[in-house]
Amino acid sequence: MQRVLTPAWWLADGGRRVGAIALVAGIVIAGPLLDGAGESFWMMALTRALILGVLAVATNVAWGVTGIFTLGQAVFFGVGAYVVGLLATREDVVALESLAGAALGAGLLCGLVVGAFLFFGRRRVGMLYVGLVTLALSYALERLASVWGEIGAGNGITGIPLPTLLGTEIEPGISFFWVAVVTLLVVLGLAWAVMRSQFGMVMRAIRDDDERAEFLGYRRPIVQLVVFAATGGVGALAGGLYALEEGFVSPTFLGVSLSTQVLIYVLLGGRDSLVGPLVGVLLLEVGGQRVQEELPTEWPIIVGAVLLLVILFLPNGLTQLGRRRRRAAAPRPETAAEVSGGDPRGE
Amino acid sequence: MAILEASEIVKRFGPVTALSGAGLQVEPTTIHGLIGPNGSGKSTLLHVIAGRTLPDGGRVVLDGADITRAKPAQRARAGMSIKFQLARVYHEQTVADNLLLALQVRDGIPSLVLSRTRRRHQERVRRLLDDFGLTHVRDHPAGELAHGEQQWLEIAMAMATEPKLLLLDEPTGGMNRHERERTGELIRAAATTCAVVIVEHDLDFIRDLCDRITVLHQGTLVASGTPVEIERDERVAEVYLTRV
Repeated sequence: MQRVLTPAWWLADGGRRVGAIALVAGIVIAGPLLDGAGESFWMMALTRALILGVLAVATNVAWGVTGIFTLGQAVFFGVGAYVVGLLATREDVVALESLAGAALGAGLLCGLVVGAFLFFGRRRVGMLYVGLVTLALSYALERLASVWGEIGAGNGITGIPLPTLLGTEIEPGISFFWVAVVTLLVVLGLAWAVMRSQFGMVMRAIRDDDERAEFLGYRRPIVQLVVFAATGGVGALAGGLYALEEGFVSPTFLGVSLSTQVLIYVLLGGRDSLVGPLVGVLLLEVGGQRVQEELPTEWPIIVGAVLLLVILFLPNGLTQLGRRRRRAAAPRPETAAEVSGGDPRGE
Repeated sequence: MAILEASEIVKRFGPVTALSGAGLQVEPTTIHGLIGPNGSGKSTLLHVIAGRTLPDGGRVVLDGADITRAKPAQRARAGMSIKFQLARVYHEQTVADNLLLALQVRDGIPSLVLSRTRRRHQERVRRLLDDFGLTHVRDHPAGELAHGEQQWLEIAMAMATEPKLLLLDEPTGGMNRHERERTGELIRAAATTCAVVIVEHDLDFIRDLCDRITVLHQGTLVASGTPVEIERDERVAEVYLTRV
């Protein structure tokens, strides 16, 4: 904790920590400013982006930090959205606390079931296998939701009422913006704590060499299941909030398109970076808003081209800019032999 | 009682039989060399013992428990540790964190999430760094270490789990003479607390270090005994003289 309070800690790593704080502070300030200026369009776009940011941060923890290459993160998002939509329209549940809890719980449960299938019972779990299974699941659930009359089939669920928080109705606009900001800050805080923790070391160890981790004694399937379920729960929470903010749920919330979109946010912003995915979301969903409207047909091509450039020249994403490799102040001896005075030639 | 008993091990890869009834018996706190010409099956036998590959026949018993089909994590938790042929350390994590990773393996997930045990393991991290001569690089990413240091770090990680049996796959590969000597010292020190099995091509290193040596050829056991017995064994001489 003492280190955190020193200027050196904040300025280390190319000033990325300060940049992250500035980004979050900018978001917090942007809402009231846009509201004051009567820019409700931009504020709603920002609110949607922040909710998608929650999904992107969760995806980054699963994929960027733990190496679980999920191509079906939208499954959790969609499950959360449908659970909230059904509870609000069929059971008249409007309390945000209850709806958020239900979405989180449904995502956790879904993550445990899918994760148990993915990670247990196999000596080796290839990430291509995980990607293909989650991709197939995302596609299958989108198709299922499109034809399942009980949950609205292709029309989805419409007319979701505004939620209440502690008995007070949450108005569209600035109120919902604050709900999104607080949720995002809590999720970012949790992700930050986990990524810095001893468990974060294990997550990265499994990402970088899962076999080595198993030979040390780590139970890889359990670690992967915990991460997959937890990030699934957070993804579902994002889906539930999105359904409440938009007032409807569509089968596309479960689909491959959103799953891919989230991966693009993470890749663009930067894997294994706390705020990288958020940068990706803001750039595409807020920064690219007007371009999307003016050039709807060309937009996917533009995104693809940008993504290609990022992968080629900044494989760790845009937040790699300013990243400085950690090096100790002392010069590195070339070999152990030099350190201990031995003859490195072995003669 | 032997700490490790691998008996009648059979391993086939398609039409090729890599091991046909090979075995290995290792006593506690001894250094046991596993040698043989290229293709003799020594690395395959080590992988079967480690659980990297499952045998088609035979039995592996560690300290009285049958681990023939146990997963690597179960074997590690039962007291087996391995250093791979090519050092496999976590390049992006610091040297100290690599050791902490090995030390905290038995801590529960809640403790790890809350980082409750980091401080408790620091003294042991410090001692391991000291024992393996890595204190000067404790905060360096492991990927920046020299080849020999990476090998030592991996042995240190393997020893951090306080194993009953340490498996070393070519621990001196690519090392200079000084590094080989230092590695030998580290292995001797490790053998005061656990049994060590070494697969190695450097026969001088094996002869100087090992209490017992097992020789494999074409997937079968040729001889097993002390270094002196192995040196005098005509079958061993024949194997090494007739190798391709």
